[in-house]
Amino acid sequence: MSVTVDSPPLERLKAILAELADLRHAETILDWDSRVSMPPAGAHARADASATLTRFMHERFVSDEVGELLATLESVDGETDTALIRVTRREWERARRVPSELVAEMAHAAGVAVAAWDVAKAASDFASFSPHLERQLELKQRYIACFPETETAYDVLLEDYEEGMTTAEVVAVFDRLKQELVPLIEQHRADDDVLLKGPFPVERQQEAGRLVLDAFGYDSTNWRIDETPHPFASKTGAGDIRLTTHTDENDLTSLFSTMHEFGHGVYEFEIDDAFARTPLDRGTSSAIHESQSRTWENLVGRSHGFWRWFYPQLQLLFPEALGKVNEESFVRAVSAIRPGLIRGDADEVTYALHIILRFELEQELLSGAVAVRDLPETWNVRMKEYLGVDVPDDAHGVLQDMHWSVGFFGYFPTYQLGNVISVQIWERARADLGGLEEQFARGEFSPLRDWLRDEIYRHGSKYPPRELLRRVTGSELDPEPYLEYLRTKFA
Amino acid sequence: MTKRPFDRLRKRLAEVSDLTKAATLLVWDQRVMMPPGGSAARADALGTLSRLAQECFVAPEIGGLLEELRGLEESCDYDSFEASLIRVTRRDYEKATRVPPELVGEMRRAAALALAAWGPAKEDSDFEAFRPHLETNVELRHRYVDCFDPPQETYDVLLDDYEPDMKTAEVRQIFDGLKEQLVPLIQEIGQAGEIDDSFLTGSFDPHEQRELGLEIARRFGYTDEEWRLDQTPHPFMTTPGFGDIRLTSNLRPDDLSSLFATMHEFGHGAYEWGVDPGFARTPLGSGVSLGVHESQSRTWENLVGRSRSFWRYFYPRLQEVFPDEFGAVDEEMFYRAVNKVHPSLIRIDADEVTYNLHIIVRFELEQELIEGRLAVKDLPAAWNARMHEYLGVEVPSDAHGVLQDMHWAAGSLGYFPTYALGNVISVQIWERALEDLGDLDDRFERGEFGDLLEWLHLHLYVLGRKFTPQETIERVTGSRIDAEPYLRYLREKLAPQPA
Repeated sequence: MSVTVDSPPLERLKAILAELADLRHAETILDWDSRVSMPPAGAHARADASATLTRFMHERFVSDEVGELLATLESVDGETDTALIRVTRREWERARRVPSELVAEMAHAAGVAVAAWDVAKAASDFASFSPHLERQLELKQRYIACFPETETAYDVLLEDYEEGMTTAEVVAVFDRLKQELVPLIEQHRADDDVLLKGPFPVERQQEAGRLVLDAFGYDSTNWRIDETPHPFASKTGAGDIRLTTHTDENDLTSLFSTMHEFGHGVYEFEIDDAFARTPLDRGTSSAIHESQSRTWENLVGRSHGFWRWFYPQLQLLFPEALGKVNEESFVRAVSAIRPGLIRGDADEVTYALHIILRFELEQELLSGAVAVRDLPETWNVRMKEYLGVDVPDDAHGVLQDMHWSVGFFGYFPTYQLGNVISVQIWERARADLGGLEEQFARGEFSPLRDWLRDEIYRHGSKYPPRELLRRVTGSELDPEPYLEYLRTKFA
Repeated sequence: MTKRPFDRLRKRLAEVSDLTKAATLLVWDQRVMMPPGGSAARADALGTLSRLAQECFVAPEIGGLLEELRGLEESCDYDSFEASLIRVTRRDYEKATRVPPELVGEMRRAAALALAAWGPAKEDSDFEAFRPHLETNVELRHRYVDCFDPPQETYDVLLDDYEPDMKTAEVRQIFDGLKEQLVPLIQEIGQAGEIDDSFLTGSFDPHEQRELGLEIARRFGYTDEEWRLDQTPHPFMTTPGFGDIRLTSNLRPDDLSSLFATMHEFGHGAYEWGVDPGFARTPLGSGVSLGVHESQSRTWENLVGRSRSFWRYFYPRLQEVFPDEFGAVDEEMFYRAVNKVHPSLIRIDADEVTYNLHIIVRFELEQELIEGRLAVKDLPAAWNARMHEYLGVEVPSDAHGVLQDMHWAAGSLGYFPTYALGNVISVQIWERALEDLGDLDDRFERGEFGDLLEWLHLHLYVLGRKFTPQETIERVTGSRIDAEPYLRYLREKLAPQPA
């Protein structure tokens, strides 16, 4: 593509956006590699490279040139180009507030802190991590200060992940969840559930994961899957979708994290090819994204229909551990409400409380109500209060998640909003498709996948999250379908 | 902008280095990790990233800073970090600004297309399908040469990209010396009778090969903290960041070539690993030239990895892992087999002696191509005739002849000679190391390679690109590049013993 100063403004803007998409692609690989394949000693050089790349991207994007092009492109033809200009303008206006130097500092600090977090977590040593957390908070404060007109500091952070979402709205939803779920957990605390007993050999679990992925629509031309301590999904470009999972021979959580990451991956994979190298080529928000990972992990992957199809195959892979466990007991066991320490392993019900705790602590850290040095204790007290569990050490407590090390404050709530949204969308899918469980029982997942592709995935970021939700479900964010789903499931 | 010009220069160079390292990682990922569906998007990303790195480097600001810094450079000691950085950067900058970005882009595009055509052409042994691409690449090299002051020989310009300051005439002189001695040596060895190496072909579990390769690399100095080893069809080494050394090896189930490939790539990696950490994110922070680089891969692959003392140490392990293949083969038989000299068709499978002639064939043909003395269409015939003349082999097809290497497709003309120069340099450095360290055989027999690594690190690796290749060689060995030690080594090691 050869674009000159004489080209029409829209073409020039698209050329700049394509370059930025390329650099973002590079940044994604830098990040993926640092989590999957980089030797530990590479962390510092990687932090440098990441910071430089991030700063270049930022400088190019916030340039006056982009501003002038946007100004001349006040109105454009066609739905897609209109969306492209809308998304670009919103991001440009936000990015322009933030000095490129701060952006680079944040990228650099993240690279260094995540390496420190790894070590601190392994040693359960919060003290060695706390200076990095202090630094992240200081950077966040400087970032928030770039948006002085936003009254609630936390709203600034939320806006980065969930366009148009406010802290107040999240509080309202979470209060409603707490009100319903705390008693539900109490009610089930004494449940005598079947406990699955391993071992479940690692290679067998990986094989099971691949069988499920193949049925969902994974192919090795466009996807890959690796092992990491903390599963994630990323997309570097069209045709390159990467999942990771974590396999522990003591349990079967790898299967669920594989399905979870598949949900993230398939959303990115199915975005309209025409959006490649534009800002529309990504999921529209973190919560919508999470609604899809939760759909494939929970609404599909913990359903009776799914296990009707897959359980016999799983039994064949683990004859010793599962030979004598019947399907009904198995499904109960993998869904059971069981208050625990680790968010990533939590069941569908207690998960919400793990998030609410983080959401509250983030706000308290930012307001100064809780000091970093008091964080572990506050964490432990709150875990006891909400989930009734005793945290034995910081590795199983405040150090369990990487998010804060990379400066992801404001991200956690989108996980729980994703749960809420997943059921809202699910209800529509069921209404349109009927008999999903029967299809799953036959190993058929493409009707669901196709429906989700048409309704959600292919649109990428064309619609803001609220609008997308309204288009698909006809309603606003609403916790009631999700609560109803849980009440029915755990009645 | 109150900073000293030198600090500003460093900052700019650090950015260029960061972008280059990011591109390096993308290439590594493409070859090792990327699902095939990602290739189109990766080409876009690499194109943008390389262009951006290039633009940042040739920016007038850097030129201005280099002018401002002439005084500082003159006032500092030649060996100082400051003077070296300014000197090396100026050299790179002057070269880079000679070539218009459009030509750089055109060469890159042509290379991408030629590489895409080369794969199938090699597969089908169809030179005609590849010919137009090679013609374009040669034509573009002509335009590239024209960007520089008229050289003594056209080929000098190409060579300078890979072996800075080296002149064609000097390479010719070295290669003539090699040819003169190696052609008769090969005949002599051939007349002495066949060495049995049939046991080197067999069934060798790739997983075991990988573990053995790692075991050797760890003895040499590989650590999980700083290195990794993966599997690719064509082995290579790359460093996507300081303290991040990545090797690949090819695990062929029917032979043990992966062990030598791993040792070879370890040598490249060790060189990069040992560069002064103070040079990180500057143009000084890597090996000085391809020839010197290759001297190190050849040191670890051949001077160490094909030595008797190394196998005294490691052969029992090999027998333990592959008892069926090697139970009845004694150490001496094995040693002779992995050092067998035998003229063959394929460069990368060649032994220590004939390898050089493969290179000389390419070196001569490249000059003839770039000087217009040989037309691309006549290349296969010229290739086959030369292979017969130097190695006495008949080339059955272009796939096993002129199409075997990817270099010309990638537009890398002038690259090949550095391989043989590496062989030559490796023994010059080796002799110096032995003078300082004494006989290393005892240590190798015990599996101890640390003294050698440390010596190479302190005398060579640490220098990075601070001096020119020729200066570097002189500092390490006390002399200019010289083929005599290498020829002596080959003769002592491989010439048939009089009965």
